[in-house]
Amino acid sequence: MSEAQAVRPAEVAPEAAEEDPPAGRLQRIARLQALQILLLLAVTVGIFSVLKPDTFPTVFNLRGIVQNTAILAVLGVGMTFVIITGGIDLSVGSVLVFSAVVADKTMAAYGGTGWGTALVGAVVACLAGLGWGLLNGVLVAKAKVPPLVVTLGSLSAALGFSQIITKGLDLRDAPRTLVDKIGFGNVVGQVPALAVVAGVVVVGGIVLLHRTRFGLYTYAVGSNAEAGRRAGVLVDRHLIKVYALAGTLAGFAGILNLAFFQSTTIGGHSNTPLNVIAGVAIGGTSLFGGVGSVFGTVIGLFIPIVLQNGFIQTNVQPFWQQVVVGAVLVTVVYIDQVRRAAALRGARPGLAALFRRRS
Amino acid sequence: MTPVLQARGISRSYGQVQALAGADFDVEAGEVVALIGDNGAGKSTLVRILSGAESADTGEVLFEGNPVQLATPSDARRLGMETVFQDLALAPHLSPVQNMYLGREVRRPGPLGWFGFMDTRAMRAGSREAFDRLGAPVRNLTGPIGSMSGGQRQAVAVARAAAWAKKVIFLDEPTAALGVAQTQNVLNLVRRVSAEGIGVVFISHSMPHVMEVADRIQVLRRGRRVATFRQQDTSMEQLVAAMTGALQWEAH
Amino acid sequence: MNRRTAVGAGLAALALAVTAACGSDDNSSSSSSGGTSGSKSYKLAFIQGVAGDAFYITMQCGIEAEAKTQGATVTTQGAQKFDPTLQTPILQSVIATKPDAILIAPTDVSAMQQPIAQAKAQGIKIVLVDTTLNDPSVAVSAISSDNAAGGKAAFDAIKQLVPGGGKVLGVGVQPGISTTDARDKGFADAAKADSSFTYLGVQYSQNDPAKAASIVSAALQKDPDIVGVFASNLFSAEGAATGIRQAGKQDKVKVIGFDAGPDQIKALEDGTVQALIAQQPGTIGIDGVQQAIKALKGEATTTNIQTGFTIITKDNLDSTGKDATYKASC
Repeated sequence: MSEAQAVRPAEVAPEAAEEDPPAGRLQRIARLQALQILLLLAVTVGIFSVLKPDTFPTVFNLRGIVQNTAILAVLGVGMTFVIITGGIDLSVGSVLVFSAVVADKTMAAYGGTGWGTALVGAVVACLAGLGWGLLNGVLVAKAKVPPLVVTLGSLSAALGFSQIITKGLDLRDAPRTLVDKIGFGNVVGQVPALAVVAGVVVVGGIVLLHRTRFGLYTYAVGSNAEAGRRAGVLVDRHLIKVYALAGTLAGFAGILNLAFFQSTTIGGHSNTPLNVIAGVAIGGTSLFGGVGSVFGTVIGLFIPIVLQNGFIQTNVQPFWQQVVVGAVLVTVVYIDQVRRAAALRGARPGLAALFRRRS
Repeated sequence: MTPVLQARGISRSYGQVQALAGADFDVEAGEVVALIGDNGAGKSTLVRILSGAESADTGEVLFEGNPVQLATPSDARRLGMETVFQDLALAPHLSPVQNMYLGREVRRPGPLGWFGFMDTRAMRAGSREAFDRLGAPVRNLTGPIGSMSGGQRQAVAVARAAAWAKKVIFLDEPTAALGVAQTQNVLNLVRRVSAEGIGVVFISHSMPHVMEVADRIQVLRRGRRVATFRQQDTSMEQLVAAMTGALQWEAH
Repeated sequence: MNRRTAVGAGLAALALAVTAACGSDDNSSSSSSGGTSGSKSYKLAFIQGVAGDAFYITMQCGIEAEAKTQGATVTTQGAQKFDPTLQTPILQSVIATKPDAILIAPTDVSAMQQPIAQAKAQGIKIVLVDTTLNDPSVAVSAISSDNAAGGKAAFDAIKQLVPGGGKVLGVGVQPGISTTDARDKGFADAAKADSSFTYLGVQYSQNDPAKAASIVSAALQKDPDIVGVFASNLFSAEGAATGIRQAGKQDKVKVIGFDAGPDQIKALEDGTVQALIAQQPGTIGIDGVQQAIKALKGEATTTNIQTGFTIITKDNLDSTGKDATYKASC
């Protein structure tokens, strides 16, 4: 026994020598990924600013871009949580519409055009979203139905209910205060109210995900649910909470949508879940769970919108926008995959790793 | 001295297969006990029953002399017994600190704590203290554990069990997937844990490792304990013979 | 950030720039040849209701032709679906390019109100083409076909083909679209006023041919003795014809479609559709450009212009029908 003890210090040393400097490799990757996406966005903005200096980098244009991303950002926060747990939520677009319909009906019955009515509508919308979120969560956590299937089902059901309630006709009863102050109002000078509201949600999401136990458990469940369970984490209950969060945010997005479009837009938002998921993926959140950030999602959502805006301004045919966004999504996720695999193998993370033959 | 944990006459069958047929077991405080046996002897089943993950068909379990019911893992954990299964139950994207405190996070004092804000500094200090005390070679406390070597991961898993356990820890094949240097680290860790008065029970297939670190060795064969040896009184050949049934006796 | 990442980013940037540059080259529309009245070359923007629709493509052709004559430049944009949530970001991007005037077909009477008002606030002249808004005063002119009369004409066409009367069905698009609403109503009023016909109501296809087909199939299951179907826009007409063919009732059910795209003309030739009410999108476009330029020059504009329509049947397909057919490209 004593010889073993004498040998110990020397044998520990080589182990220590292979270790990384303070930041782990995967953590460096995550930082690099967020930086990379931000860089991509900056480069895109830069190019279009150079091509169209009079019209692209203007306050009006930037306001428009931010307004159009605001509602997606609110959805993106919830979606980030869900995807980090390794799940997915395809129902956000339909839940948004359903919540808007329910809120509209309630506000019309309540009457009035002031803040009181708007608040009632907002509460009802969030509750409607919460309801669908809880349903999704229970089916995923307790009935063990795969999230893709569950949320595909609620996508159809929510939209169906919306059409039953409205008989297929869009409702347009948004109170004036909601539209003027939130949908199109400004908070300070030129800052759109919609953006501020979305911003608050985003900041809340960042704090919740990165600083609280709720966020930690979200990562834990996505990383290794069984480990969490054995450590005493109530995994099922946590999953239900995460889907409930996503649903509530979709409901909130519904009232914001009503404020902006003054209509329940039943026919719209069929592509919205996919656009949000694309934004989440571009932003560095892994679709396999365990890794992700709300900040990355927001940047990831900006990129397709900025691309569309820039293409319209430079007169590129509309269909090219779809092609480029698709290419960006696949490229970014591919690069991310390669880097992660390289990091876990112990290779140096760099762009040239893409072109090196896999050993 | 009363053993801290004792099992008598444990039987468990899965359908037609009799995994344990009246097995006995005991471990004392501060002792390192190796549980060995050939494949299918019932080692993993016994550990699962003693850690509360499964229940026995017959037999009784005594904790510090008193009979207890270990219906769930929480029952065992409440008594101060922790288990490290072969999959380590670590979340690869989380850091060693986060894994260490998983399920037992320290909340910030005051109202912030109610919202779920955690005292990361306290947890990091606690982890650093535990790793140092046990001599676990974990350099990077904040990186994701998935990017660390197998030895480091094992060290974190064992240190986690040792830090929270007061009485007994169970290790299922702790050195199975490790290289030479990493194995030494784990065995040292085992010694340090037992030096703190915690009973360590580990399953192993590696006779050299068993001989190196165990105080006592208990051999299971066909669901029963067929032999108990003190490390200094036995040899690898004797152990193998007991496992395969060439020798049969119950030694005290 | 290491050098390699910078190189990668640079390559991506270059690719983006090349795409954008190529794009601007092949898609910029009519260049400003010698202007007519010697005044400045105006920048016009046309926002379609939906891209890839022969109706709006024909309108685009008319707009581009008239713009060339007037010495103005035109850019055209349209979303993938007839949807205000898709049209709004496009409108906002177009506004940011600071055109002098925007010709737009709003996809919703209220959802597009505010975004279009934003354009007016930027000093851009607005002309509404085809569809309109709840409050069209934000525009200098609103041009569309006399859709109510078009709907009535469709009923008259069915009455001519089936003088004995019977059940008739309307296939609309989506309530809230001013043009199709007017057509649906024109048809419904005329059908209800005629005692020999039973009006079965209108169902909405959401501008999806597949949905229109299933609506018609289901309706034929329920009422196998339907004698006439009126589909109030292009995609609905496409789908209705498909639904009737699927039910095997090409000879029994008379279909009147609105709009005369290449597929409907083919359906007319095949006999699955008996008559088409063709609008004059080219004329709408030409009028739109003229009104926009008038407004920009400070001249008086006409607030409401209603264009006519042509009834195309198999008989007049080669004569008057030919000019009225919509184009698939300019």
